Amino acid sequence: MDKKTVTTISYLSRLKIDEEKEEKITNDLENIIKFVDQLNDIDTSDIEPLTNPLEKTAKTRDDIVTADNLKKELLEIAPSSNEDYFLVPRVVE
Amino acid sequence: MTIRYKTIKEIKNMISHKEISNKELVQEVYKLINENSHLNAFITLNEDSSLKKAENFDNNPSDSSLAGIPIAQKDLFCTKNLRTTCGSKILDNFIPPYSATVIDNLEKAGCISIGKTNMDEFAMGSSNETSYFGNVHNPWGENLVPGGSSGGSASAIAAGIVPAASGTDTGGSIRQPASLCGITGLKPTYGRVSRWGMIAFASSLDQAGPMARTAEDCALLLNEMCSHDIKDTTSLDENIPNFEDDLNQSLKGKKIGVVKDLDLASLDNNVVEVYENSLKEFVSLGAELVDISLPNLSLSVPTYYVVAPAECSSNLSRFDGVKFGRRSQNPKDLEELYIQTRSEGFGDEVKRRILIGSYVLSAGYYDAYYKKAQQVRRLIKKDFDEAFSDVDVIMTPTTRGAAFEMGSKGSDPIQMYLEDLFTISANLAGLPAMSLPNGNIDNKPIGLQIIGNFLDESSILNFAHMYQTKTNWHMLTPEGVTK
Amino acid sequence: MTWETVIGLEIHAQLSTKSKLFSGGSTEFGAESNTHVDLIDMGLPGVLPVANKEAFYKAIRFGLATGAEINQVSSFDRKNYFYPDLPKGYQITQMTKPIIEKGSIKIFADDSEKVINITRAHLEEDAGKSIHDLFEGETGVDLNRAGTPLLEIVSEPEISNAKEAVAYFKAVRQLVTFLDICDGNMAQGSMRCDVNVSIKKSGDKELGTRAELKNINSFKFIEKAINYEIDRQIRVIESGDSVVQETRLYDSEKNETRSMRSKEEANDYRYFPCPDLLPVVISDKELQEIKESLPELPEEKEHRYISDIGLDESEAKIISSSKTMANMFEEASTKTNDVKLVAKWLVGDVSALLNKDNIDIEESNLSPENFGKLIERISDTTISGKIAKSVLEEVWESGSDVDEIVETKGLVQIQDESILVEIAKKVVESNPDQVTAYKGGKDKLFGFFVGQVMKETQGKANPKSVNKILKKILN
Repeated sequence: MDKKTVTTISYLSRLKIDEEKEEKITNDLENIIKFVDQLNDIDTSDIEPLTNPLEKTAKTRDDIVTADNLKKELLEIAPSSNEDYFLVPRVVE
Repeated sequence: MTIRYKTIKEIKNMISHKEISNKELVQEVYKLINENSHLNAFITLNEDSSLKKAENFDNNPSDSSLAGIPIAQKDLFCTKNLRTTCGSKILDNFIPPYSATVIDNLEKAGCISIGKTNMDEFAMGSSNETSYFGNVHNPWGENLVPGGSSGGSASAIAAGIVPAASGTDTGGSIRQPASLCGITGLKPTYGRVSRWGMIAFASSLDQAGPMARTAEDCALLLNEMCSHDIKDTTSLDENIPNFEDDLNQSLKGKKIGVVKDLDLASLDNNVVEVYENSLKEFVSLGAELVDISLPNLSLSVPTYYVVAPAECSSNLSRFDGVKFGRRSQNPKDLEELYIQTRSEGFGDEVKRRILIGSYVLSAGYYDAYYKKAQQVRRLIKKDFDEAFSDVDVIMTPTTRGAAFEMGSKGSDPIQMYLEDLFTISANLAGLPAMSLPNGNIDNKPIGLQIIGNFLDESSILNFAHMYQTKTNWHMLTPEGVTK
Repeated sequence: MTWETVIGLEIHAQLSTKSKLFSGGSTEFGAESNTHVDLIDMGLPGVLPVANKEAFYKAIRFGLATGAEINQVSSFDRKNYFYPDLPKGYQITQMTKPIIEKGSIKIFADDSEKVINITRAHLEEDAGKSIHDLFEGETGVDLNRAGTPLLEIVSEPEISNAKEAVAYFKAVRQLVTFLDICDGNMAQGSMRCDVNVSIKKSGDKELGTRAELKNINSFKFIEKAINYEIDRQIRVIESGDSVVQETRLYDSEKNETRSMRSKEEANDYRYFPCPDLLPVVISDKELQEIKESLPELPEEKEHRYISDIGLDESEAKIISSSKTMANMFEEASTKTNDVKLVAKWLVGDVSALLNKDNIDIEESNLSPENFGKLIERISDTTISGKIAKSVLEEVWESGSDVDEIVETKGLVQIQDESILVEIAKKVVESNPDQVTAYKGGKDKLFGFFVGQVMKETQGKANPKSVNKILKKILN
């Protein structure tokens, strides 16, 4: 877990690591990764990953519109909005 | 007449015998909250609405199963028109326009949601020290942690403020605080209780459950919390038994799995003694002890610390300052908005887990970590499947020790992670598991964990209830009195 | 040095379900901003997705029509990235187990037929829309579109030039509209595509480094963007540099592609199975029902038109090229005994108008019903072919009802032969010189008399009757 990796995953996570905490966090991450590395000693060839404890299949919905118009409520809880849109600083494409 | 330290059962009796009005009851709850404000168990109170509901019950008595029962709701459940923070700064102004199914179910049964309990931020922690709203204190000792992440719920019950609370358990977040606070808490089978409206930490592990003083009360609460919810495709469409009906089955001939592979030597002698005494108690109730093997148990913590951070890193992406919650001040552009909002809004433990999650999912590491962990997860589940072909329940200590002092785990996150050594495997396998008080070490409570087979909460509750009819551990309070 | 171009297309087709892929929000186009946003579309904390079965059915129709493998068990993954119109910070898509794999579709380009293989077609949710130019210093986000089901159709890199790419896109569009799974409306963004372009030396086995051209939504721009990009890559390589693997944006105003490298920076989508969604299973029974409900496909129609109805190959091809055109043909054919007449009008006048306006039949004012009336009126001799032409032009402009135009403008054909005889006599009488010349052997002048009669009747005469009458008078 080098500095560059920490920079990359911080960017992917949109998190900034304070300079004074950087060493500690890098250290922690490295220790955690070392700790979970013990999994690599286990032979898991031919073992299907278990991504959900329910080994079942999903129920699905019928194609029906059930939603109400929540425009006002939803724009109200947004940190920044006008009467029609959620607003963010101008994105330059 | 006081409701302090009373169980749901007892309070129901008090209401039906008109020993207390619903309004007096709720008023007392708020009085107790104020008197115990040093516990910091609550983040947001719901006083006006609760009093109104209570008055309504006084005017129009209801025969709903939990009519008038005050309940504290973990602040991870969305509550319509009532602030829901998940213990985080990033949601400190969030008022959801919807309620979690669990909340709706409990309120439909008559429960009065008196407030939202403090918790580790986004349920990530085992000591309630990661909450943006400050540490929760354990009523059993000045500087003791209540455990986490459902620490506020556990503390409020242990202090006798409320008879019941909701909790959630991703790696032990109901059972570990239950153990450290001397109360009873159950994590149901994954899928028993709808996750709709529960703010997700790790979606394949999260499960809501009841916290109370007794197994019997947990059964009453679970009866109402469970439902098949079409809004959650992982919500099980299975028969929901009346959990109260199965409480008094004889344990004669029932088999308790005792895990050979447990490294008891690493535990405090007292913890081992308490655990072994409980097993003897069960034998005296007619149950048999059967040695079982869970060879991959020790891998559950590293497995968990890949799977849970991976899911959380994705689940927490929606907290970006765009549509709800807090946004940082005057970001100069979109990138800064994201980065500052999230860096200011999340605490260190949450950040640590998001970073780990991003790492184990990133290109080149996915197979070595995420996929590997999910493969080991299957091995862990397989161990349980095999064990349950021989036994009715499995028992372990819930925690490695009793409540510890705040700050005592130092700054090494792995020390804190190992706190959940015994509880995590039930989440990985999706199995129901409970913690109930089974001893006292230096005047600090400690719990026994009972793990059940898939969908077999009834056996757990039955074992726990039978134990509680013979023992008094669950009746101990921090004030030293046995009721 | 000669270069070969290798192109692969990723087409995003919005499936025409009523509700979204994972919520009960409406997918209706053009609604007021943020009015079709469910709690789930908004990505609020604690909300959970539930998959819309109809989206699977529609995807399966596409799979069956392209001879693909249908994965009766398919699952969802998360693609993680941050963008304001992506409310959850991840897109739910099908990475590891897509619903459709290994199909193919036939295209026609440069007068030859070619089969393009389809690697996969998977379900995923659309993002919302960011509006960059409406507010000073700010971008507005409209989440109405967020969660709309998309079928992403990924081709093998088997397309060799811009014309083929357009032909492929058109073939896919034709198919999805025939299948009634997507409205194919490019202007509304119902179909969009990303194009992967690379070049390699002729004969090389190894593929070159590709650039991805993003989000192009018209046939014209696909062709221009690809041609520009091919030239650019050749220039880059011939000047001794190498092509960088990147996403490029096509600027239709400047007709150029430009790098969006900022977006690419450290892009790692961290795909993993979506833990909120269990795998979705399609039963054998469901699959059978979908199979039985499939409509006649363009190729089948074309064959039937040729073998059963007797159309020319070129006519059959044009008519089966779009669902609306085929509908027009089939509806109008019920109004007449002369099916060839219907084909003639569609391939002739209607196609000419389409070419003139450079639009698709769906975008025109002509409805199948109205076209049917036009044919009916020609067939029952209410109007002449010449009048019909002007009626069609009027419908093309205004969309008015054929019968209404005929009636209000008094265009009904003169049925009474005695009136025509009168007019013909008058024409003959007032043109003695031409009569003399005609009788002296200038046969060509017969057409002149016909024209004069038509002029006198403002085109309302039946040319056959006029011929007959004039022959009688003049001979």
